[in-house]
Amino acid sequence: MTAQITVTEGGIPHNTLMIYGIIGSLVGIYLTYLNTVTGTQLFSFFGGLGAIAALVWGSDTIKRLCSYGIGTGVPSAGMLSFGSGVIAMLLATKFGIASPVLALVLGLLIGAILGYIANNILAMKIPVMIQSIAELAAVGALVMIGFTAMATGSFTFSPISAIPVTVLGASASAFSTSLIGGGLIAAIFMLGSIALQHGFNACLGPSEKQDRTLTLTAEVGFLSMLMIAIFSFAFLGMGAFIVSIIISVIGWYYTYSQYITLSKRDAAAWLDSKPIVEAEGH
Amino acid sequence: MSALGAAKPAAGGAMDPVSSVIGLVLAVIFIGAVFVIAPTAVMPLLGIILGGVLIGFGVHFVPVGGAPAAMGQAPGIATGVAMLAAGAGLAGLFGGAWAAELGVVVATVTGAIGGGLMMAITCLMVNVIYVFGMGIPAASGKVATDPLTGDSQVEYKSQGTEGHGLPFISFVGGVVGGLFGGAGGTLIYLMLLGVYEQFLPAIFNAKVEEIMPVAISLAGIFAIGMFLVNAVLAAYNITGTIEGPHDPKFKRFPRAIVASLVASALCGLVAILIVVVNLNI
Repeated sequence: MTAQITVTEGGIPHNTLMIYGIIGSLVGIYLTYLNTVTGTQLFSFFGGLGAIAALVWGSDTIKRLCSYGIGTGVPSAGMLSFGSGVIAMLLATKFGIASPVLALVLGLLIGAILGYIANNILAMKIPVMIQSIAELAAVGALVMIGFTAMATGSFTFSPISAIPVTVLGASASAFSTSLIGGGLIAAIFMLGSIALQHGFNACLGPSEKQDRTLTLTAEVGFLSMLMIAIFSFAFLGMGAFIVSIIISVIGWYYTYSQYITLSKRDAAAWLDSKPIVEAEGH
Repeated sequence: MSALGAAKPAAGGAMDPVSSVIGLVLAVIFIGAVFVIAPTAVMPLLGIILGGVLIGFGVHFVPVGGAPAAMGQAPGIATGVAMLAAGAGLAGLFGGAWAAELGVVVATVTGAIGGGLMMAITCLMVNVIYVFGMGIPAASGKVATDPLTGDSQVEYKSQGTEGHGLPFISFVGGVVGGLFGGAGGTLIYLMLLGVYEQFLPAIFNAKVEEIMPVAISLAGIFAIGMFLVNAVLAAYNITGTIEGPHDPKFKRFPRAIVASLVASALCGLVAILIVVVNLNI
């Protein structure tokens, strides 16, 4: 049994945030299905918004877990989250329309077993360990599937591993230009885990505030989303690409300005540094 | 590393027999599940488990210093396990993946050398920075004399620190850890690659050469995922920092071997299920 060393004061209760995160990410990822319904690709960006909802939830989970002082640093929690999340997510993509829900369920299942290993076999004895690692694995899986849906417009295994092409009138599949075959899944892995771990890693400390931490997570999430929007140029049309870029930039600008505002609020003093003015005649 | 690292969890050294048995039973169930649904994948799964155990064991050799090491107050490499694992382990994995066509033994040895080389370079540069940049000598805080060279450590240790720099034993530990980690990561990759080469052609109705990009990418990302899971679980076992094989925390490794065994069996089962489950939806 270890003592909790930082006490979270104020803010939204963790369980409320978790419910918002689950609903927000599932709704966001499922809204990409409008692509199939309407026959366009314009709704792909919803996958990225769903991923950011999951990231915000995961950031609060990391805060809850790391407040016990796990001794390995905040980034290790993000790495464990995505290491187990990507395994859950890739299996979940095999289940067609149920994939996002399966990603959540498989993530929780795999995470719960890993949490049991860490808490009982490795004798960490942290009260929130099993629940937190289960949540983190689910977050990893949902972020991966959300960003995948944003990049390719779909979240099932066949479209993200093979792209149908027509060669001399015969239809075939191109494997090396797909999301998995091209290795972009590894880039999504790192973009997601950076966004997940950075918020609390940067904001932790005596005057940590929940809204500032989560705003920073969302800000890094939108930066990652901007990169995913650039990936989507390889898979989607120009229209969907431009919509994704615009949404990402607007989201990033809003969260960044919010984060600066909140930082000014929490800071003891704020001194705007000016560019060094070159004196005349030099 | 975080500033929270100051308060370490009070994880003891003893194994919890009940939990360990439950874990081993789970591992047997996972292996049994693979045996029922895909008998040909049982040997690869055992290889994956061996790879995971090698990673979990190897982490215990690596001198992980964390934030105190960055301030010169504790020996070791000044970063967390997640970063060291990503650096050394993936260097080994990439090295081994290049040699995948030359057979399991050659590829695994290549992966081990890749990981060990990466750790050797890291340890050397860490000591260069400690000695010439920060002006501190290498001294262990856990032992009075270096077990390998017999050099006395106590005179060089500053008061109020747990030692600093990277003593010879920690350097050797880092290289040995890199060898284990690189070999384990490569073994996981090779085993998964074999499974995917066997199953994916039927799923996509394509030739083996055509699906190779997908097989390589899937095996690679699963190997990375399992590597990080095993490395972070081992890091939890040593509660973040360790000096190397001479550190008393090193004796906790049996727990980590059980943990890596169960975690690798679970992750391997899921990684094999992805090609066995084929619902065509």
